[in-house]
Amino acid sequence: MPLWFARGLRRGIVTTRYPARPDSSAAGLPTPPAFRAGMLDHRLADLLVTVCPSRALYRDGDVLQFDVGRCTACGRCQEAAPGAVAPSGEFELAGTSRAAFVKQIPLAPEVGR
Amino acid sequence: MTTLQPRPGTAASLLSAIGGAAPREGDRVVTVPVPAAQLEAAVHHLAAAGARLADLFAADGDQVTLRLVWGLDSERQYLVTETPIDAPEYPPLSDIAPAAFTEECEIYEQFGVRPAGGKPLNRVALPPGAGPDFPRLGHQPQEAPEEVHAPHTVGGQAFEFPFGPVRQAGVESLYYGLVTSGEEIVDLYLFTWHKHRGLEWRLRGRRPAEAMFLAERTEGLSATAISWALAAAVESALGVQPPSGALLTRGIALELERLYNHAAAMAALCQSTGLSVGQAAAEIALERLLRLNAATFGHRYLFGVLDAGGVRRAPDQAALRDGLPGAYGELRRAADALLATNSFMDRLEATGIVTTEQARRLGLVGPVARAAGVPIDGRLDQPTAPYAAYPPALAVRDAGDVLARLRVMLDEAADSVRLIGDLLDAGPAGGTAALPAGGGSGLGWAESSRGEALAWVSLDADGRITRARLRPASVRNWRGFDDAARSQNVFTDIPIIEASFWLTVAGTAR
Repeated sequence: MPLWFARGLRRGIVTTRYPARPDSSAAGLPTPPAFRAGMLDHRLADLLVTVCPSRALYRDGDVLQFDVGRCTACGRCQEAAPGAVAPSGEFELAGTSRAAFVKQIPLAPEVGR
Repeated sequence: MTTLQPRPGTAASLLSAIGGAAPREGDRVVTVPVPAAQLEAAVHHLAAAGARLADLFAADGDQVTLRLVWGLDSERQYLVTETPIDAPEYPPLSDIAPAAFTEECEIYEQFGVRPAGGKPLNRVALPPGAGPDFPRLGHQPQEAPEEVHAPHTVGGQAFEFPFGPVRQAGVESLYYGLVTSGEEIVDLYLFTWHKHRGLEWRLRGRRPAEAMFLAERTEGLSATAISWALAAAVESALGVQPPSGALLTRGIALELERLYNHAAAMAALCQSTGLSVGQAAAEIALERLLRLNAATFGHRYLFGVLDAGGVRRAPDQAALRDGLPGAYGELRRAADALLATNSFMDRLEATGIVTTEQARRLGLVGPVARAAGVPIDGRLDQPTAPYAAYPPALAVRDAGDVLARLRVMLDEAADSVRLIGDLLDAGPAGGTAALPAGGGSGLGWAESSRGEALAWVSLDADGRITRARLRPASVRNWRGFDDAARSQNVFTDIPIIEASFWLTVAGTAR
């Protein structure tokens, strides 16, 4: 056991200062999407609703609702509409109510593609 | 598939034994219709011929069809028998092949048909109180399954110690019933249904591309292996050959999955033996491997890599070549230090022994079977690309104890690093073949870090799934856990044995 104690001391601290400081490894994590509202019309929104496997997206009239709490950051929406969807880079999700996780994205009139 | 006489071997001998069947033979899978009246004779024949019962499941519809999947490992072939069941009972197959018992229970829960003879059937996946409206693949059984319990009366100084389903932080829900006299384990039983999510039920009606998302969540720690098995089943059903670059990518992802799982098992072994610094050392290696996964494929647990027909992502080869030696070196240093620590080795040696006979009888797979002297590895016995051209080295030990399982895992981890290097050198990675319209059925498989993962799928003419069977290795190996726990072990050995099996409850309850 003393050898393991010495081995532990020799290895030193490997944990980072997160959350006091950002962790560099977070840059490689998949994150939920961010939507460019001006690039989304009804047709594209319906396509995104179709490709989302965890049903985090649904359209309510002229609004695309995005439930971040259901998103698994799988990236399928980004693949389907790379011009309108990009990784948000936000992987820390916290809120005081369930409704805080549902984002409303207004849809534009038909967008030329 | 075409109808013809199978090549000489076990499948041909089965046909001569039962007579009259018209087999459908593919490259690697031969399907033989077996009437219900001849099912018992067929199982006797195959068990006597040394065939390995790999799975047993039912398909839904107006008529229940039993399918038995047999591994003919020496012949590099799978044999599937299909038997329509018209009556509420079928022959008691686990009396002949004990490996069938868990699946007999599962079929009873899901379809309401049971083996003849009145044998008690345990609850394995559906929760108590699952009524007629509970999502299931077939019909509710007339009588609820038995609750699993110790098969004897607890008396004298022995008592039952309930543990779980909520256990320590970060460990899956699992209820242990431990029968103990205070030190020695007299008996052990498990409730595994707390994590049932009805995944096979949810897959019905989905297209293969949608199904992959759920398949890789069946057992998150085997995401690559199970999604590979399902993708291969779909590809077999539709007659699709993925691009060679996609198969190389699958091999790389699967070996990365094996590496991080074996590192995680080693960390769990340290935790269960109270070796905190060893646990930290193993977890440093594990974290580096997970970050390497993210750098290579964009996901720490390799989700979203595979697709039906190919792969969705190609590896970042530079990141993998750059990061792998350091991450594996971390694992190797921790392992070498552990293997030189007598107090650690003493806890593993002669603990949780699974004998060769038990492993064969129960149809165990993966490192648990290989550590018990059963030399089965799907990458060698049932090789598909890229393993046909890049075979792994078989890691096998005879002792059957926890130490043998750790040594098998360490040998495999070293070989995975070699294989990844070979696969990276083999050519460009990535690519996907388009899936043609139409339906069919097929069997797929992959050797996960826990052992053989199987999938069987049936697609309708519109290309939607009518039945998907997912059989992770955990489904097989939990049935060996209680035997290992009873083999002259004490109370504190149980977490050590569980870590060495490194199974998931999610995979078995799915």
